[in-house]
Amino acid sequence: MATHAGATEIQNPFDVAVVDVKAGELLFQRHCGTCHGRDAKGGHEAGGPDLTTGNFQHASTKVGLFNIIREGVDGTAMIGLNTREPDQSVWQIVEYLNSLNIALKKIDLPGQPNAGQQIFNGKGKCFTCHMINGQGGRTGPDLSRIGERRQPDKLRLDLTNPNNEVGPRWWTMQATRLDGSVIEGLRLNEDTFTFRIIDKNENLWSFSKATIRSFQRIEDSTMPSVEQTLTVKEIDDLVAYLASLRKES
Amino acid sequence: MLIIRLSTIIVVLFAITYLGFGQERLSNNLQPSLSPVTWERLVNAANEPHNWLMYSGTLDSQRFSRLDQIQKRNVSDLKLQWSYQIPQIDAAETVPLVVDGVMFVTESPSNLVALDAKTGRPYWRYDHELPEDLRICCGRNNRGVAILGETLYMSTLDAHLVGIDAKTGNLLWDTEVADHKAGYSKTAAPLIVKDTVVTGIAGGEYGIRGFLDAYNAATGALEWRTHTIPGPDNPDNQTWAGDSWRTGGAPTWITGSYDPSLNLIYWGTGNPAPDWNGATRLGDNLYSDSALALDGDTGNMAWHFQFTPHDEHDWDAVQVPILADINLYGQERKVMMWANRNAFYYTLDRETGEFLVGKPFARQTWAAGLDEKGRPIRLPNTSPTPEGTLISPPVVGATNWWSAAYSPRTGLIYVNSFDGEEAVFSRDEEYEEGEFFTGGGVQSVLPSDKHFSAIRAIDPKNGERRWQFPIQPMSHAGILTTASDLVFSGSSDGYFYALDATSGESLWHIALGGPVRAAPMTYAVSGKQYVTIAAGNVVYTFGLDD
Repeated sequence: MATHAGATEIQNPFDVAVVDVKAGELLFQRHCGTCHGRDAKGGHEAGGPDLTTGNFQHASTKVGLFNIIREGVDGTAMIGLNTREPDQSVWQIVEYLNSLNIALKKIDLPGQPNAGQQIFNGKGKCFTCHMINGQGGRTGPDLSRIGERRQPDKLRLDLTNPNNEVGPRWWTMQATRLDGSVIEGLRLNEDTFTFRIIDKNENLWSFSKATIRSFQRIEDSTMPSVEQTLTVKEIDDLVAYLASLRKES
Repeated sequence: MLIIRLSTIIVVLFAITYLGFGQERLSNNLQPSLSPVTWERLVNAANEPHNWLMYSGTLDSQRFSRLDQIQKRNVSDLKLQWSYQIPQIDAAETVPLVVDGVMFVTESPSNLVALDAKTGRPYWRYDHELPEDLRICCGRNNRGVAILGETLYMSTLDAHLVGIDAKTGNLLWDTEVADHKAGYSKTAAPLIVKDTVVTGIAGGEYGIRGFLDAYNAATGALEWRTHTIPGPDNPDNQTWAGDSWRTGGAPTWITGSYDPSLNLIYWGTGNPAPDWNGATRLGDNLYSDSALALDGDTGNMAWHFQFTPHDEHDWDAVQVPILADINLYGQERKVMMWANRNAFYYTLDRETGEFLVGKPFARQTWAAGLDEKGRPIRLPNTSPTPEGTLISPPVVGATNWWSAAYSPRTGLIYVNSFDGEEAVFSRDEEYEEGEFFTGGGVQSVLPSDKHFSAIRAIDPKNGERRWQFPIQPMSHAGILTTASDLVFSGSSDGYFYALDATSGESLWHIALGGPVRAAPMTYAVSGKQYVTIAAGNVVYTFGLDD
């Protein structure tokens, strides 16, 4: 990839204030939002990827992001701003994108992460379904870096009202085969003609929609609410622990 | 019935003349490839279905082929015959042409390759040199070429039109259509009308002033230009507040159709600019989001029909107009069929622009219906706001630029449709030449898997749905239908598939991997029928084993 002159050797040379992040957001919405979505979560129409996860396909540093925004990515739909905006504006977009990655130091939470970890592995039995850094169950989302992707208030809602927002990956599919037997499991993937699931015994199944009697999609979560099993303080601790889970931890 | 009988006779004659009942299969070609494509051949393109001579197959854009070697009984036996990998990574949106055994494939960003249609091996390629400061809203796409004589005509992302020698790939002429630095670009296949190359423009997200042009096919000189936003000398200019018409968009970024009997060109226009802030351009904003009928010799406007007056949701009427003669209310009518991005299906009289039929074909929450003239009865509180307004259809549309198809055998139009929703936001934005001028944006509220998508078969006589085939999660692909009552299409999950055109029953599918954003086409070489689709950045061609 070509790089903008001078940019590869430097960090952001400008002071970064809140106003710069806001300016970056407005610049992003104007220049980038058409493909990447107004909220940077990806665009349905143009297919620009989600930029809110903190993981970028073509850049691992702020300078790398600067270069991508400036020059684009050869051989892809990503075209750069070229020289149409000054360096400061490009850095503002970089800082805006960086702000979408939830930084731990920004978060002031009532709970204690260490106590939350004990609840996760003990009373809460969270580990039976969720994996962290390779340890735990696999019938729930891997939470190793959940703190980067999910704000604490969302984490709290996930714990107390799991059906509020269930990603399609965690829906349940129920397949009724021609002999009447039913196989049910988490929806790993579904397309026009087929779907694949993992059942409660962690077996993988792949079905052709045309060669089974019927199938049903259940969009509820398989996770119970913790409201009846944990105290308010325990939930606070669990939220603090989950918010602390990120790459550097 | 007469139409069916005639078409049966023509198919039989075609089989005798062109297919040769397989005598040439597996042999080298007995005749040289590629003979000049005259205007007469283009007018009668349906009579040589072994070729695919223009973007939509025929001037009426039905995307209906008389080829029927691939049928319901054998379509499940289709096998990959060859594949061609496009060097660029973008999801290809190209529809190839085939002329007497030579296939012409456009590539991202603005390149062209000629292939042996039987083997997929290249004859030549043309790489268009592009500047580094392109202004393009939605990917580095090119959707196809046009041909007249032995010259190919291609739009380029830097808003040029080029003439390319079909036998060598040599550049014959290069005409700047508009200044790319002002936000103009070109992605659509041109349409040949007599001895001119009719071609549109993109840039609705950059506040351009749209137009449709015709260029001399031999020299590349401009013959006529019709602006899609009228100037102050036209009363329709009053449908734009103040000077907003100067930056009002209304691009023409997909290919149109032509009726030789009426000498009328039909073309769709795109969104008014800025997309999501209508407060700066009060009025109906003619002729954005409209079907235009233009004189084939002068470009003078015969009539217009605006689908979405004062659009604030980016619902371009950039769909390919489908022309057919159908019996409506006991009367033979020359009609135009149009499934619009705004979720309404329309049948119009193409001689006059009269509204005949209109009905929603997908989920919509913005209109109570259409009045007797086809004008939407808009619901309150559906405009974008700074805080966001939930609306169906979403920006991607109930359908979009991907081609629908019509079968004169079934009398049905086939449309890839989407029942989605999205939050739309407005914001204040000053026009700045060459920069995005959208006045807002969109935000998905639910994952796309939550929404429903399907190929729908619609009866143009009443807008009723005859059948639908669910797609998971959605499709950006065009559609092909054939004389053997097959419907071919693809989907974003990387499938290419065939359905029964009469029932929607699934007959065959194959996973190609890359998302399908192109439209299928079919052709025949040496007596063998092929069907071709681009998926990801690969062009795949299927046929029955010999």
